[in-house]
Amino acid sequence: MYAFAYQRPNTLKEAEAAFNAGEDASYLAGGQTLIPTLKQRLRQPSVVVDLGAIAALKGIAATNGGISVGAAVCHADVAAAPEIRKLIPALARLASQIGDPQVRNRGTLGGSIANNDPASDYPAALVGLGATVHTSARDLAADEFFTGMFETALASGELVVKVSFPAPRRAAYVKFRNPASRYAIVGVMVAETAQGVRVAVTGAGPCVFRIPEMEAALAKTFSIGAIQNIPIASGELNADIHATAEYRAHLVGVMAERAVAMIA
Amino acid sequence: MLKAIDAGMLAMEMKGEHTIPATRAAVWAALNDVAILKAAIPGCDSIERLSETEIEATVTAKVGPVKASFKGLVTLSDLDPPNGYTIRGEGKGGVAGFAKGGAKVRLTDVAEGTRLSYDVDASVGGKLAQIGGRLIDSTAKKLADEFFARLGKLAAGSAGPET
Repeated sequence: MYAFAYQRPNTLKEAEAAFNAGEDASYLAGGQTLIPTLKQRLRQPSVVVDLGAIAALKGIAATNGGISVGAAVCHADVAAAPEIRKLIPALARLASQIGDPQVRNRGTLGGSIANNDPASDYPAALVGLGATVHTSARDLAADEFFTGMFETALASGELVVKVSFPAPRRAAYVKFRNPASRYAIVGVMVAETAQGVRVAVTGAGPCVFRIPEMEAALAKTFSIGAIQNIPIASGELNADIHATAEYRAHLVGVMAERAVAMIA
Repeated sequence: MLKAIDAGMLAMEMKGEHTIPATRAAVWAALNDVAILKAAIPGCDSIERLSETEIEATVTAKVGPVKASFKGLVTLSDLDPPNGYTIRGEGKGGVAGFAKGGAKVRLTDVAEGTRLSYDVDASVGGKLAQIGGRLIDSTAKKLADEFFARLGKLAAGSAGPET
């Protein structure tokens, strides 16, 4: 690890000021990606701004017809929260399957979505459930928040404050995970929401994406049969030592069918 | 398509093409203009022409949490004006490892202007290859797309559309 200055502000304003004062500043949430990167010396920030003491980023609360989750809430708390397990069990289940106990007890919702790793689970939850991201500057629909591989609509210094998830009528998330990292090789969230059926895929492409053909088919008939013959193009999908693009395309169909089977 | 050459190195290959609304001569000029190359190479901090075919460049690659600065030499070969060339670069990124890659670039006339087609190979070694195995392919694809898209815009902008 290289040397860096460390700050632990108490408010959002102080955090943004500390970030903007540094030449190459980095926010630290749960540190499950940043700390290993620093240890490997693959990043050399001049200042690390720890978000752990900011009260505005904490807490889970029931909202009108949904749940709001603070950016600093760890995955284990999302998985265990009684109100989430009751209202959006698919979200609690998704959080319970992220990484390992260390990652689930340190890693945070805000950190995960701001990093937007193409294989992370939360992007499928936000886009699949039609969530809204509340930042230090504005409110963004999940569809607008995730813009590309490791890229989001967040401006430099802008912070995720909380995410509100509307409760779906029914939803399920199924992933085919890498057995070592537990990252999603392919993960699919299928949800019937007040705005219609949504199908969101993570792990398969450079960024989370929806499958309009499956959404339209499921809106007509919510059954496995409705989506069995929808082809998934592999052209833009990821390929790596774990899975080819063609295999990922196949897995998208299988994971979507399993998700539908859980709630049809 | 990704393949592991050995435990410490990863390589990939890809092809693509862009259609640029400019004459072949204008696109060729852009491909040989270091100021345009600097603006087109994602994260290029500095670029200096050492000779007709050798260019020194510093590039900062930022992908997710990783930010690594590479310093290296870019060479142009198989020069066939105004039809194409081969551009190759090799850089060392200190503790992060090394990256090298090249592209065979071909220019052909089409109705809309010029078609630029490329055949890219890239490889990384060292720590980047060890920890980044699952992302090298998509990263290289993204950087190449960005480079050729920007180059196309710059070439079209400097020359105007073909009449």
